[in-house]
Amino acid sequence: MLIVSAVTALGLFFAQRNMAANVERDFQREFQDGLSALHAAQAVRHALLAERCRALARKPRLHAALEDNALDLLYPSARDELADVMGGEEGSAQESAESVLHARYYRFLNARGAVISPPEYRDAGRLPPEEEARLGLKAVPDKPQVGYLWRKADGYDEVIAMPIVSTETGDVIAAIVLGFKPSVLGDGPAGAKIMSGIWTDGQLHLPSIPAAAQATLAGTMRNGLSGRDPAEGSVEVRLEGTPHLLFYKRLNPDSLYPPAYEVCLYSLADSLARQRRLAWRFAGAGALLLFGALAASRFLSGRLSAPVEKLAAVSERNARFSADASHQLKTPVTVIRVGLEELLAGETLAPAAREEVATLVHQTFRLTSVIEDLLLLSRVDSGRLRLDFVPVNLTRLIEASLDDLGTVPDGLDLQVTVDCPPGLHVAGETRYTTLIVQNLLENARKYNRPGGTVRIAAREDGDEVVLTIGNTGRSISPAAQKHIFERFHRGDTGENVPGHGLGLNLARELARLHGGDLRLVRSDESGTEFEIRFRRAPLAAGSGTKIGSSHG
Amino acid sequence: MFLRRVASFSLLFALLAGRVSAQAVVEGRVTLPKPRAAPVMNKRYAIVSVGGVLSPYPPVAVVYLEGSFPKPTRLPTLQMAQKDLEFVPLLLAVQVGTRVEFPNLDDTYHNIFSYSAAKRFDLGRYRPDERPIPSQVFDVPGLVTLRCDIHEHMRGLILVLATPFFVLSDTEGRYRLEGLPAGHYVLKAWVDSQTTLERPVDLRPDATLRADFP
Repeated sequence: MLIVSAVTALGLFFAQRNMAANVERDFQREFQDGLSALHAAQAVRHALLAERCRALARKPRLHAALEDNALDLLYPSARDELADVMGGEEGSAQESAESVLHARYYRFLNARGAVISPPEYRDAGRLPPEEEARLGLKAVPDKPQVGYLWRKADGYDEVIAMPIVSTETGDVIAAIVLGFKPSVLGDGPAGAKIMSGIWTDGQLHLPSIPAAAQATLAGTMRNGLSGRDPAEGSVEVRLEGTPHLLFYKRLNPDSLYPPAYEVCLYSLADSLARQRRLAWRFAGAGALLLFGALAASRFLSGRLSAPVEKLAAVSERNARFSADASHQLKTPVTVIRVGLEELLAGETLAPAAREEVATLVHQTFRLTSVIEDLLLLSRVDSGRLRLDFVPVNLTRLIEASLDDLGTVPDGLDLQVTVDCPPGLHVAGETRYTTLIVQNLLENARKYNRPGGTVRIAAREDGDEVVLTIGNTGRSISPAAQKHIFERFHRGDTGENVPGHGLGLNLARELARLHGGDLRLVRSDESGTEFEIRFRRAPLAAGSGTKIGSSHG
Repeated sequence: MFLRRVASFSLLFALLAGRVSAQAVVEGRVTLPKPRAAPVMNKRYAIVSVGGVLSPYPPVAVVYLEGSFPKPTRLPTLQMAQKDLEFVPLLLAVQVGTRVEFPNLDDTYHNIFSYSAAKRFDLGRYRPDERPIPSQVFDVPGLVTLRCDIHEHMRGLILVLATPFFVLSDTEGRYRLEGLPAGHYVLKAWVDSQTTLERPVDLRPDATLRADFP
């Protein structure tokens, strides 16, 4: 019982420690996920534009305008093709999800990279002349170029210059530049508050923080970048008294446009608070589980260590208590499990914490099974478990148990041999006879070596039926053999094998209740073999033969 | 070869146009640009665009006599058909004021248009059985690039000339222009959309002048 609580406490301790370490990592991951999402949106946009430009380049009218000296017809010719890219009205307040794909304006660059002004702004989008001029490049680009254009009126635009390649010669004959409102990192689904902005041309645009703080950060950025144009970097800054992490990543590596950085700022205070909050929640759930486990252990230790006579003396009370215990012990575990499962179902847990909680849920199932086994043992101990003997078809029972076992995926690739005459009947109560067979088969499986064999043989021996179940796993040391039937004994081979050391004890107790016994026949290099003796079912004429013949 | 047929057709037209007034003949050879190996992907195109320069492939020149000549009272209507997703002929020289019809001999739609300064027009989509046959009058001298809005590779050239005296060379650059009026003129050779060679000529009645470019 101490072991149960110790194991649980240890598990909780490691889980909690793990989680604390994971929270920081999760935060980073979340932040990177946000950036990835942003870049994915950009990639979609680029792909869409690339396709649009390929379509444009195929347009005879566009070629006609560019090659036949008819630049006045260039914008009208492109209008239809770009109508859906332009989307809504200029300055429209409706910022829909599709707005990442909707350009605010477009301009063509000629073969020398200079901007070709549109004859009118109606379709190409309005842009002051000095801002329009900054869309130009030193030369017409042969691959997409991303830039960021500071606009006096409303911050930054992301601009993308796409080459228009002649389908005939493969030459770049022009380029088209489209301006978009840059997509920004929003609040992540897990609620991380990430403030995002853009840095280019020595200016920082981070609208969600006060102007004074922006100026401070701009200075930090300037120092951090000074002439090196690193791909990315991060620096810890204090903003209004709280620590923040400032992370920047080059948005347009190798671009002909001036370098620009995505700048993200997140509060470390937030992160710490969140970590604390999660730790508390986790510790709360853990404490509840630990409490449940302790209560179970305490109760059972009391019950199990109590002398049998004393138990018998209070058997009446026991009968009631046993039913109560089942309720008292299993209910809290169920409550804990449901609570943990709810925690899992919510969206507030980081992935790593989720894993840990899932492990705890699994532990509650183990706890339930321990409790059930212990309750059964306590009933055996108190002598309150009486079997209603009926003929049990052992052959069929073995087959069914093997079927159940076969559904457990274990990757052990075991061979099973059964040598059992049909219709072998023993005296037992199906429920408990099954438990014995299942426990032994389960042991034969889990202590086996990969590719090993499980041998099952049954025969009649006078008034008894002898069932032997053997496996080809590692042998049990002679020292350990004395103890294998003790409660909470775990085989020394079984560090990684699930179980709680009650199975063999329970099986032996039950076998004795059947009027038989369970013993270890041998355990050596060739394997380990257990033998169970049952009483042969009295062949009460009708039923026995009937069952036997139907399965013979 | 196809371009030769174009050449002889135009030569005939030039002869008809010139018969009334003059007897001089000029012949010679235009040094044509080396036929550029056309990029693989447009081997089949006969009007190629390289660096924004449109030229017939293989090269051919239009030689014409510049000067002011009385306008003819009647001009023949010429045709530039679309057949097998190509313009036929690919290069057509016409005198100012000529009507050119664009019959569709394919079994698909075509949409012939031009953005050229000398003539901007858009015939819209039309089918082979479109009647009357869509046509345009070319009344400003210059080069008109024809395209089809549906078939991006299709390209044709119409060289609108102020003079009735012109002829297409063969693919070796050889030409012969007959029935010309005597006098001092400038003889020009159009080679591609960016290149027109020229030289003064002194034409004498009943004499054949040899004039090579350059």
